[in-house]
Amino acid sequence: MIAIRGLHKRFPNGTDVLRGIDLTIDDGEIVALIGRSGSGKTTLLRCMNFLEDYDAGDIELDGATLWYRTDPTGRRVRMSESAIRARRQQMGIVFQQYNLFPHMTALENVYLGPCESQRRPVAEARAAAQALLERVGLGAKTGAYPFQLSGGEQQRVAIARALAMRPKVLLLDEITSALDPELVGEVLEVIRGLVLDRMMMVIVTHELNFAREVSHRIAYLSQGRIVEIGPPADIFDRPQDPTLKEFLRRVR
Amino acid sequence: MTFGRWIAIYGPSYLSGLAWTALVALGAGVAAVVWGTVLLLVRVAWGRAGARAVDGYVQLFRNTPVLLWIYLIYFAFPLIGLTWSAVICGGLALVLQNGAYISEIFRGSFRAIDPVQFDAARSLGLSRWGTFRKVVLPQVLVYSIPALGNQLILLLKDTSLLSAISVAELTMNAKLLTEQTGAAYEAFIVVAILYLAMVVLLEATARWARHTVRWRPTRHAL
Amino acid sequence: MLILLVKGAMATLVLGVAGIAGGTALGVVLAALSFTRPWPLRSAYRLYVFLARGTPVLVLALLVFYGLAAMSIAVGPYVAGSIVLVIYASAFFAEVFRGGVLAIPAAQVESARSLGLPPLAFFRKIIAPIAFRYALPPYVNVCVMIIKASSVLSIISVWELTLAAREIIERTLDVFTVLGTAAALYFLMCFAVDRLGRRTERDLMRRGFMPERA
Repeated sequence: MIAIRGLHKRFPNGTDVLRGIDLTIDDGEIVALIGRSGSGKTTLLRCMNFLEDYDAGDIELDGATLWYRTDPTGRRVRMSESAIRARRQQMGIVFQQYNLFPHMTALENVYLGPCESQRRPVAEARAAAQALLERVGLGAKTGAYPFQLSGGEQQRVAIARALAMRPKVLLLDEITSALDPELVGEVLEVIRGLVLDRMMMVIVTHELNFAREVSHRIAYLSQGRIVEIGPPADIFDRPQDPTLKEFLRRVR
Repeated sequence: MTFGRWIAIYGPSYLSGLAWTALVALGAGVAAVVWGTVLLLVRVAWGRAGARAVDGYVQLFRNTPVLLWIYLIYFAFPLIGLTWSAVICGGLALVLQNGAYISEIFRGSFRAIDPVQFDAARSLGLSRWGTFRKVVLPQVLVYSIPALGNQLILLLKDTSLLSAISVAELTMNAKLLTEQTGAAYEAFIVVAILYLAMVVLLEATARWARHTVRWRPTRHAL
Repeated sequence: MLILLVKGAMATLVLGVAGIAGGTALGVVLAALSFTRPWPLRSAYRLYVFLARGTPVLVLALLVFYGLAAMSIAVGPYVAGSIVLVIYASAFFAEVFRGGVLAIPAAQVESARSLGLPPLAFFRKIIAPIAFRYALPPYVNVCVMIIKASSVLSIISVWELTLAAREIIERTLDVFTVLGTAAALYFLMCFAVDRLGRRTERDLMRRGFMPERA
């Protein structure tokens, strides 16, 4: 379970990008973050696995506070790099593009993490990677390099790579936004499969129909705050907040 | 004697060397840009043969040191009856060498011009020369400003090589001073500082040039 | 005569290789320095690069040669010449390596961080290989530049191809043949380096990396 309390972040140029985020995500739950560009949804996602730091607030995973601790004098201080690294492995992330390491095959991309970070034996990691790639429909292309794969295939490999680390939660940052339309479907298909596995997921997306289909809850962000949150039916059919209504009107 | 006093006494003698360096650099720089433009023209106007010829020229100068050309022109010209001064000989070598690099810079900038513009120019009835003058050249020159700035700095540094054929520029100045006063270290440190100062000046000028141009390309060229 | 020029070319090659090898080693250290957190270290890097790249090779060489003499350090001309080339090359190589690292798309760096890779594996398996491929073309350019820069050492009497050519000319006045041959020898060396670089690029592309598409 993920608990986020009072998250604040200010950019160096003075903009407040997150103005107090409170969010709880249960095991097996899927939450979609929607909103206009600059609303803070991507920043929120990136704070979760500490690719961005934050100025105030707590992020807890299964009760344990992540990323910051209090030092003996009571001040809030970053955890050590090794502690951060260990905890990052519990969260898998897939980016919009340029995920894969271009100099490694699909298979090598997937088993790199388990081998190097989790110290699993190579043979075991490779076998697991093979299975994962088959699961995302790329069992025949394990020896392909990223440049030989389509955008959709690359994103599917990226998902497999994140899953290989056996994370507690999967963070997806607009993973279909950079894809040609005909390739989006195959990626969404893989995500649907993960829904059946009750994988906890936080999805930042523009694909509102997809968000409606797979999410348990949808959070609408505006100007660094979660303005409205609820089941897809409530958000799409009975929006309360005026900015949300405007957003849905513009996007539909 | 202390460094300060040394500068006070010998400072002025650097001025003539500095002036020569600046003069040669500027002169050769302008000439190299003109020569680079000519090479660009040959490349675009004479099809495959032109492009091949310019490529060959560029390859020649990319793979040989400029000092060799300085010597070649300086020693060879008298043999064919041209008794030009050392400055001209050395300057010519610098122009030929840097012209090659500049033509490559221009080639890159040329490719950044959207091909649609040539169709537009033709539809407006511009001649090929008119298109080159009014459409190609201005854009190529502006897109090339950062790289040209760099090239000019390289040219400036190469002027020091003219001391090998006894041109009275800055480095030559320092060598003479060394022989006169025996204070080698001070002489060369001052020279190094002067070159660095000129480099800073050139870099600042390049930045200013980029900012004063009022239009931007509609693609990502700059 | 030709023998003399070929010997000169070998001396040039030795100087070039020394400069490239030493410059690469020092360049890696410098590039690493440029990515550290403490501000004085990064400023030191900027200063070094500015001084080494902004000073003409000839002036740098004069400084080194006279400086070594002033400090009563007696090394042969080839060692001193190599030192000059190493200093000059290291600044350019450092910027090339820096550029290679900076060219890596952010998502790949962040993916590696998200996988929780330990620092050594992070550098060895991700940063180094990818940066290497981006840095390869400019790296080869600098190598060619160093070989050509060795000709400047002839002015301070380090015996290599250019000085060999000059000596022959002053004896025989056979300017065109001698300098033409010297030019051909330089061309051969530089072109070979360039070719080697391009072949390496092609091999890397086949093994999976196309910088344009990333």
